[in-house]
Amino acid sequence: MAITRRQFLARTGLLTAGSFFGPGLANPFMRKALADTIGDRYLVVLFLDGGNDGLNTVTPIANGNNLGTYGFSANLRTAYNNVRNSIRLTDSNLLPIANDAGTNTPLGLHPGFAGLHNLYAQDLVAVIQNVGYPVPNLSHDSSRRYFETADPLGVGNGTGWIGRHLAANYGLVDLPAVSVARGGVPGEFAQTDTGVLAIGELRRFNFPYHSTSGSYAAENTRRDTAFLEMYAAASVSGHPSVEFLGNVGNSVYDAAQVYPDLHPLYVADRPSFNLSYSDPANIGENTFRSSTARDLREVAKTIYGVTQGYVDSRFFELRNGGYDTHSNQGGDTGPHYDLHNEVGTALELFWADITDMGVADKVCVLIWSEFSRRIGQNSSGTDHGSQGPMFLIGGKVDGGVFGKHPDIAQYSATFQNGNTRYLQGPASNPFRTTDIRDVYGTIMKHWLNVPQATVASVLPADSGDPNTRWTAPNFDLNLFKP
Amino acid sequence: MGDASTPLTLEEARYLLRRTGFGGAKPRDLEQVVGLPRGEAVAELLEFKPSRFAPRGGDSSEIQDRWIRYMLRVRHPLQEKLVIFWHDHFATSALDVTDTRMIQQNKTLRLHCTGVHRSRSEQVDFMLPLRGNFKDFVKAINKDPAMMQFLNTEDNTKTSPNENYSRELEELFCLGVLDFGGQPNYTQEDVFQIARAFTGWRTREVRGYEREAYFDIDRHDYSAVYNATRGPKVIFKSTGGFLPAGQGRSFTVDGEGAPEIDAVIDIIFDHTDSQGHNTVARHVTRRLIEYFAHPNPDVAFVDEVISASNFDVDFDIRELLRAIFIDDRFYEGVAPIAPGVRKSVKFPTDFVIGTLRLLGIRPRRRDLRVNDSGSGVVRGYLRDMGMTLLEPPSVFGWNWETSWLGSTNVQERYQFAVDATRASGAGTASVRYSKLMDLTLTDPVTIVDTALAVLQVDDQFSGADRQTLLDYLGPGPIDFGDENTFNRKLRGLFALIIQSPAYQVY
Repeated sequence: MAITRRQFLARTGLLTAGSFFGPGLANPFMRKALADTIGDRYLVVLFLDGGNDGLNTVTPIANGNNLGTYGFSANLRTAYNNVRNSIRLTDSNLLPIANDAGTNTPLGLHPGFAGLHNLYAQDLVAVIQNVGYPVPNLSHDSSRRYFETADPLGVGNGTGWIGRHLAANYGLVDLPAVSVARGGVPGEFAQTDTGVLAIGELRRFNFPYHSTSGSYAAENTRRDTAFLEMYAAASVSGHPSVEFLGNVGNSVYDAAQVYPDLHPLYVADRPSFNLSYSDPANIGENTFRSSTARDLREVAKTIYGVTQGYVDSRFFELRNGGYDTHSNQGGDTGPHYDLHNEVGTALELFWADITDMGVADKVCVLIWSEFSRRIGQNSSGTDHGSQGPMFLIGGKVDGGVFGKHPDIAQYSATFQNGNTRYLQGPASNPFRTTDIRDVYGTIMKHWLNVPQATVASVLPADSGDPNTRWTAPNFDLNLFKP
Repeated sequence: MGDASTPLTLEEARYLLRRTGFGGAKPRDLEQVVGLPRGEAVAELLEFKPSRFAPRGGDSSEIQDRWIRYMLRVRHPLQEKLVIFWHDHFATSALDVTDTRMIQQNKTLRLHCTGVHRSRSEQVDFMLPLRGNFKDFVKAINKDPAMMQFLNTEDNTKTSPNENYSRELEELFCLGVLDFGGQPNYTQEDVFQIARAFTGWRTREVRGYEREAYFDIDRHDYSAVYNATRGPKVIFKSTGGFLPAGQGRSFTVDGEGAPEIDAVIDIIFDHTDSQGHNTVARHVTRRLIEYFAHPNPDVAFVDEVISASNFDVDFDIRELLRAIFIDDRFYEGVAPIAPGVRKSVKFPTDFVIGTLRLLGIRPRRRDLRVNDSGSGVVRGYLRDMGMTLLEPPSVFGWNWETSWLGSTNVQERYQFAVDATRASGAGTASVRYSKLMDLTLTDPVTIVDTALAVLQVDDQFSGADRQTLLDYLGPGPIDFGDENTFNRKLRGLFALIIQSPAYQVY
């Protein structure tokens, strides 16, 4: 236990489990036992907190020309102009992506999402339209929980969809998951007694009094011993929240031996990328300290640490708040523009960074929000809605536009029908919605290489009406390149 | 079965003061409570003269500092514990709200939480309740300028009703999405209709920094114009247990326009859930029990204290608290950590402010530093533990219990323990250990017991953890006259106790 991080780093090359920590302490962060399931892949989950307005994110540029079975509903731009006035996005400002397949409607990304659009242009982004779940809930909290648990009908025990996967494949304190957050463990990762790391900033992730040189060496070692004894006892106390605390204390202590060094390592090895995230020329006047760019840089540092053999973190979660645009949402410019601009720019910087690291083909980023917003606007913003777009970014992602645009022409001027209907039904259904679980299942099966049967056990199908329930899971959406 | 006449044991008295104050009580305060019947002790706690403090400051940081300074010194910490509770319940963030409105709201929360003491000149001012009444409180929040900005009441107009406030009024402040039987308490239509009631309300400056709500008739949604497309101003047609079934309640009973928002609250407070209980009473009582006692309380606990205090009729906050603090189930958290004991994770405010109070540390400078470095600012510790006052993460407030225990958050607790116990030096904040304990003690067992008592956890530490501390101290005799021993062992002992798992829970 007396070894210092400096000494530790000096002797690293490739580490194997148990080579560093004494007996009785599992070595959680050096494990290389992941090959069976995810190999060398990473999954980054980015949450747009507050309910991102999907209709002003993936927007019709003009009417489609395939009215066919769709009838007037295919006139999506006309419908859009009817429901959005002061927050309407100008057609010529939208950043074109592929057409909505069913209606042949030209679509564009919000002008603030230029960063994401640049990635799209490199065939790295899957835009998945109209993703939702049965019986949409307009509460932030309920809907976010449904996305995190992938259990909208509440038949499970409230654990997160990634958490269930982690619980099935890893031990209590050796989870390869990191949340870049000041708070606790995010919902996707939640399961009983997790030891998921939630790190605000690697640089400041330090266990106190870790100087084990000089006159305090013996004293600090004794303090560490006492600390670890108390926390080891807590983790088997039989009291759920105290056991959780015990696990957190132990894993924080262990992680603090390595994770803080990922910061200087990255800064030393990748100086220009390090500066790129905070450069005002790149991120404008955004407050870097609380920005997605800052948080994605922490992810990049950790991934770089993995490539250099220091840690083995594979799952990341981060969030960007502020999407609850009930008022003052703005249109071609304004707060919603700024939010997209911040996220898009950060993603582009991140992607350049990991591409340079040589791991672009190993990383997949999933972007979600707890709901989209109401189709019709209120005075200067939008109230809570239902289905909305998700995005998947990755070197192995098959770029393009998936799913079907929401049925906004069906919207009536009154509030009652202000949400997109959730209709699974047959693929021939003009406005069929993609269920969140099809997206998650596809990622698990085709990105994390989890067997179909295991995916099905993590994401069990609903029973009931096939039009309004998710009765026929499809974990084979064509979101990844072969 | 205990009741109001049951005398408090030492452990129970300590627990009561730990839960209703910051961290614990000084021995002097404790002595006054031990042995008293629960009812008397609780009456002592509740019958304070409420303060009218407002944390004035130029920006969010300064307001936080003023409030923290007040909490460090306040004579009746229960009031501030309640202000924190209501700040979390009616969560509003300075990131989206003008600072002066946050100051005003903070004062409003303080005035309403247990009732305000009226001065002679205020006897006639019926805006100020004599006792904390939850229904009046919610009516005051309807018109709170910070809330009206945060949840867009000011932007809510007849042409396009804004649902932000009306949804959270139902979901968070009063009813909850689902009742105790898992049935929905309201529908989307109810959210929309209630939003119509709030159309037209705006704010204007009155005196000093304060603002007031006023009703702008031109922006209000009147039935004659809008009912044709928006339906009648009726709520709870399918929930709430209102008879005759299916007809719901109209919130224009006291007239259309300005009276509608009070009428909405009156109706919401009459809402009964699918099990026939008052929905508001259960919702807020469960929340208060979770705050003061333990998470996921038994339904029987909730219902019994409501019935004992008549809260579902009177909505008197003080009487509800009295019932909670007298109930046997409240004391299920008294015993040390063990399976089945109802433990709850300390809020960062309790951890930090409680520790500073117990150690007698007075942070220095305007920004309240525990040491001379910029990283020793009290507000900064709270932020990194996940609790920036005035800036709750969302309208849901903070997440409690294990959500306080993110890796970065617990690290900050460990760091704070080291910084606080090291505080020393001329002109900076200091721990004066000689005031806390007898420094001529030499026996390790006595030293450990004394330090645990100073931090009010001597009844919470297991034998094994005690032994861990003894192993750390090493064999006696210990000589704190030796500077090295004092600086390392004494400060180290206190730091370890503050870092311990037992100290992270109530």
